Amino acid sequence: MIMDFIDGPFWYFSLIVFFSGIIWNMGSIVFALSKVDLSVSRGSAVSGAIKTIFTRFAADKGMAPHIRLQIIAGYMFHLGLFALLFFAAPHILFLEEHFLGFGWTPMPHWAFIIASEFAFLGLLILWLHRILNPVSRLISTADDHIASILTFVVMLTGCLALLESFTALRLLHRFSVELFLIYFPFSRLMHAFTFIPSRAFTGAWFGRRGISS
Amino acid sequence: MARMKFYCDAERCIECNACVTACKNENEVPWGVNRRRVVTINDGVPGERSLSVACMHCSDAPCATVCPVDCFYTTDDGVVLHDKDICIGCGYCFYACPFGAPQFPDDGAFASRGKMDKCTFCAGGPEEDNSADEYQKYGSNRLSEGKLPLCAEMCSTKALLAGDANVVSDIYRERVIKRGASVLNKGVSYQNASLRASAVLKDK
Amino acid sequence: MSKCTWIFFRQVYFFISLLIFLCLLLAVDATASEPATSKVNSPGSELWMNVRKNMATGKVTSQVKSVDSNVLINSYAQRWTQFRMTQLINYGLIVLLAVFSIIFLFYVIRGRVKLSGGLSGHMVHRFTDYERVLHWVLAIVFLFLATTGLILLFGRPIFIPLLGHEIFSVFASASKEGHNLFGPIFLVSLILMLFSFVRRNIYARGDLTWLLRGGGIIGKSHVTGGFFNMGEKTWYWIVILIGLAISASGLILVSPNLGQSRIIMELSHVIHSIGAIILIAVSMGHMYLGTKGTEGTLESMKTGYVDIKWAEEHHDRWAKECHDNNRLISAEDYAKLQGKIIQNAKVSNAMEENK
Repeated sequence: MIMDFIDGPFWYFSLIVFFSGIIWNMGSIVFALSKVDLSVSRGSAVSGAIKTIFTRFAADKGMAPHIRLQIIAGYMFHLGLFALLFFAAPHILFLEEHFLGFGWTPMPHWAFIIASEFAFLGLLILWLHRILNPVSRLISTADDHIASILTFVVMLTGCLALLESFTALRLLHRFSVELFLIYFPFSRLMHAFTFIPSRAFTGAWFGRRGISS
Repeated sequence: MARMKFYCDAERCIECNACVTACKNENEVPWGVNRRRVVTINDGVPGERSLSVACMHCSDAPCATVCPVDCFYTTDDGVVLHDKDICIGCGYCFYACPFGAPQFPDDGAFASRGKMDKCTFCAGGPEEDNSADEYQKYGSNRLSEGKLPLCAEMCSTKALLAGDANVVSDIYRERVIKRGASVLNKGVSYQNASLRASAVLKDK
Repeated sequence: MSKCTWIFFRQVYFFISLLIFLCLLLAVDATASEPATSKVNSPGSELWMNVRKNMATGKVTSQVKSVDSNVLINSYAQRWTQFRMTQLINYGLIVLLAVFSIIFLFYVIRGRVKLSGGLSGHMVHRFTDYERVLHWVLAIVFLFLATTGLILLFGRPIFIPLLGHEIFSVFASASKEGHNLFGPIFLVSLILMLFSFVRRNIYARGDLTWLLRGGGIIGKSHVTGGFFNMGEKTWYWIVILIGLAISASGLILVSPNLGQSRIIMELSHVIHSIGAIILIAVSMGHMYLGTKGTEGTLESMKTGYVDIKWAEEHHDRWAKECHDNNRLISAEDYAKLQGKIIQNAKVSNAMEENK
């Protein structure tokens, strides 16, 4: 019964929450931009926006030496997670069967393992740094911790189900993914989508004023 | 009940590898898995011996002893089988087996072992006899149809014997007696003797 | 010498003399002449005996190309089975339970080791953020690996009767996959640990005194120590050396398709499991001493700062160094550093809104 619930209604419910939440969030960002800037422009807003989307991948030069651990661990985690999310064979198969109808070449198994190891190590370092560094601890809210732990649980249940043969483990992974999807639009996990408009907005704002950002 | 055993007569095995092929074909084993193999000692040298090896279906099987999830069981026929729904692919049976019977699907370097696969004495698995599920996981179930494993059934020189241990050992005992007589008769070791028993003994 | 050890030595002596006696008998037997009766050997009997004993039998080949496909009988497999089933499982459980009860007894008898002078409130910096993050990454990964490993080792006798085969195999599969995946993370954090702590963990003068005085367990007075004392240094080297041995043997076991033979894997498993049992046993002591066992120790890994009184009692030479270099931080400054006092009202307001 629980099995049917996780595979059926709860899955659709989480998808609805996830997508409607994202559309709602992104929509409100887009509508917030509709104010017309009447000032005389001193530079291109568009080029500033596009440039900033990419320049912000590198940390601020003044900050970088102080947050090297977070940069390295951050990239390890995000790249690892990206790779195993979109290039792991079982994920591609799932997307192909349930959503897209087409698939792409998955990573070999060993690359999948290495990617997930990078992701695990990065996430562990980031979360522990959040707890152990007094400044990070102070500026972290419950949301940050819940998001970190939820992401970790999703990854952990995925790794426990690697043999791909026990239904209970697959359901556990799926259930944690569903919780993650439901939590996603209401939390800072939204940064997976909002980082682009937020960078673009800053870039456009500065670009229009002819300031490098 | 009968106690099923394999016996390979090294004096008869000609290393034709037909048992290996028959096994693969009959059981549709995954790529990289060889439930049966023929091993040759001193290939091309006088005194060369070949032996077809698979799971020996031990009476006190070490694989069953070490399995951390206890997925092995012995049937009433004395066949050692395992439950692939319980197997976790840890590989301990592979370490414990002296004969190298347990096999794992080959998945490249850094692979996670899949579920173990081994010779089932053509007796399938714990699923319903001759069901599609059983065939997919374990291959064919000839024993339930009253047939013996295909490898032994089609062995051209009848080197590979399979069946009730008493019958197999009776057949082999008879062979040994005839060979012993041949050795005595010719005064040489079997290795150098003619493969036929002498004319004196033939009549008896 | 206790009576037990004496009996043990006597038995060893007895076996050695028995062995010498048997060798002499064999030597006498070999010199005796062969009987003249003719023997009928089973064809190839010597060959099969050699195969059984893993002795040289000439070239062995097989058309089936896979790992060890040309090994007819690996008699070491039986030895390994025996090791795992009768020695590893039994003695492993005994060792772990014994160490646990010794620690518990120690706690009951000795109690928590309190700082004799109490806490002063003045703190010194001991571990950087990076070092603490590294420590806890290693600790979390280690605990995960230890738990999953012990489930795989003791699960069959303990959990199968409780849960049944189907449910336990789910746990076992999860344990195995998790164990395999987290193993390399342990190795990476171990190597990082090796580099960032190695300089402070080289044995120095004064360490022998620490050892001779039993690390302060014997008697009430505290013993001398630098940044790390002898016990901590030994723990560090146990972690590094046994950890590397476990990781190396683990990598051999986790990648079964690199072509290593079964004997290599069986030996790796022996190293892996013995090393793991030792490391888990010693880590229980480390965990006890780091948390419940001594007052003020956990602070160093939580905040990175320790009370100067703690430093003076456990690491007097390092404390003197801190005094000399004027590295003490007042209680108030420490509270600010930890964000417990926020002077800027704006910041604290913002914090509350955020919560």
